[in-house]
Amino acid sequence: MSSELLEVDGLRRTFGDVVAVDGVSFTVPGGQMTGFVGGNGAGKTTTMRMIMGLLATHGGEVRWNGSPITTLDRRRIGYMPEERGLYPKQKVLDQLTYLGELSGMTAAAARASVMEHLERFGLEDRSTERVEKLSLGNQQRVQIIAALMTQPDALILDEPFSGLDPHAVDSMVDLLREHTSRGIPVLFSSHQLDLVERLCDRLVVLAKGRVVAAGSVGELRSAGPVRYRLTLGGDAGWLRDLAGIHVHDVDGSTALLEFTNEAARPALLTAAAERGDVLDFARQVPALSEIYREVTS
Amino acid sequence: MTGTAWMTVARREIITKLTDKTFLLSTFGLVAILAGVLGVQAFMANRATEYAVVTSSSAAHQMAELVKTGAEAEDDKLTVTLSEATDDTAAQTKVRDGDAVAWLHQGDDGWVLTGKDDVPGDLLTAATTVIRDETLTVNAAAANTSVEDLQRGSEVSTTLLDADADRAGVAKAVGFALAMLFYLASFTFGLALANSVVEEKASRIVEIITTKISVRELLAGKVMGNLALAFAQMALFVGVGLVGLSFTEYDRFLPMISGAVGWFVAFFVVGFGLLACLWAVAGALATRTEDVQSTSTPLTMLTVAVFFAAMLADGVIKVVLSFVPPFSAILMPMRVLEGSAPWWQALVALAILLVTAGLIVRGAARLYQRSLLQTQGRLSLRQAWSTPE
Repeated sequence: MSSELLEVDGLRRTFGDVVAVDGVSFTVPGGQMTGFVGGNGAGKTTTMRMIMGLLATHGGEVRWNGSPITTLDRRRIGYMPEERGLYPKQKVLDQLTYLGELSGMTAAAARASVMEHLERFGLEDRSTERVEKLSLGNQQRVQIIAALMTQPDALILDEPFSGLDPHAVDSMVDLLREHTSRGIPVLFSSHQLDLVERLCDRLVVLAKGRVVAAGSVGELRSAGPVRYRLTLGGDAGWLRDLAGIHVHDVDGSTALLEFTNEAARPALLTAAAERGDVLDFARQVPALSEIYREVTS
Repeated sequence: MTGTAWMTVARREIITKLTDKTFLLSTFGLVAILAGVLGVQAFMANRATEYAVVTSSSAAHQMAELVKTGAEAEDDKLTVTLSEATDDTAAQTKVRDGDAVAWLHQGDDGWVLTGKDDVPGDLLTAATTVIRDETLTVNAAAANTSVEDLQRGSEVSTTLLDADADRAGVAKAVGFALAMLFYLASFTFGLALANSVVEEKASRIVEIITTKISVRELLAGKVMGNLALAFAQMALFVGVGLVGLSFTEYDRFLPMISGAVGWFVAFFVVGFGLLACLWAVAGALATRTEDVQSTSTPLTMLTVAVFFAAMLADGVIKVVLSFVPPFSAILMPMRVLEGSAPWWQALVALAILLVTAGLIVRGAARLYQRSLLQTQGRLSLRQAWSTPE
């Protein structure tokens, strides 16, 4: 399995006085799905458009397997823009074949690839319909076919899952997994954090044009301070007075806490046992959404 | 792929247009109108007429034979058929019943053509000439002289100071037709081109396309595709026009028109290419189809100006404008048609047009490239020119 590598190094882009992307660096390794998350206006789309050469960079560079990316490299990358672009009045098959030909496929190969993908999505009988006649979800499937049909060397997908029902998301994910198993890097942006957590191997979090967190999902989740949840038989308010402990939150008998001094742990449990029942004491792995809220706040 | 990417784009432009019902209907509608107009002309020119003339005496019959020969020699679309009636009454009946158009007989004071309610003018003219010549010959012989002697010195001939007036008239008419074609092509294809550019921009498919091929290749493909279509449509119109013309009485001007049409084609291709690039820029400056109208206003005015210059320019202005692009695209072929511009002037004007087109293409490519991915409202030319990529 060959493994490609897409690197973004110190990318910067301004629009007038506004700095949209400010020194963004991350890597998208081959064979992995990298999720790109961030709020509206965080700079995700701008970064992706710079990777694809649709916007000029005002600093930094994009590297493909270690060298600055070229137009030819970019032609081998499947791209799905945020605003879905297709000719509304052209037929599905004709349109996708045209895009395949522009990528360098022969008309016959493009046609075969399109039909194969349409069958996967159960759209083979819609191939002669105009794109505007399709539902938005189906238009999106057609769009993703445009990005995948050439067996690209990498995939850059801007919000590929928005507007898809759960079944469609699953079949799209299966399809994307096939491509990562070929060893290619996949970068996709999304607002749906639960989806990102489920799907991606790596994560890049963007806020106000800067990378605020990056790494594998496991790394990110274990990188923060370790928290514990303690549930007692009675009120947990007295925990605030103990030394070596930082209590984040107390809700009746349940407290979320962090040890500032590891030695405080056995002392805590002894003290709790003396006061009454200990119902639950567990290490708390934060959900991605919590990490996200924390790093972007 | 790079080399043929523009061809793929051009092919899509052509196929899209050829499967567009409006385009096909308007094209064939125009061909039908053109063929219809020329067909009527051809029919009028070729209509054969036949006149049945009846006589009731052998002298009249002999004279009628002469009229027949003379009339048919003069006008090959005219046929005269003769018949003999037993007497004057029978001859009159034939005319009254419509079996003959006229009864030729001798009156007290020469010859008489009796018709029912009218005697056809061309028959009367032919008969008058033949009968006068014949009578003159007979009378001259009787007076021991000859017709030539009698007529000597009575000849009236004409010379024209403005011998090319006829040619100028035809040149004007054909020039008008060609200017009209250029105007139509610039508008129909130009506006369609601008709209297809903005369609790609508005639907954002341009973002996908330009990650696959360069903006220049996209522009080249769109312009070449439309140029090929415009050229084919124009060739169809001109072809139908020339073939149609060959059936009319204007067929004698064909050699002169054909030569100028060659120049027109050359100027058309370059001139249309120049305008097509500008139309593409007009499309790229807009973000929505509604904006095209305002971004293309200067171009609309330019096209109209070229048309009116072709119609109205005269004298020095015409000569000067026939070298100035894009006016030269129409005015120079018109001058060639009139015979007022020698071939080297046409070549010079074509060279100027080519160089200008080359510069415009480069400028247009820059504007197109810079405005194509700007999707925040309408751009001014200045913004598009100076905007960073």
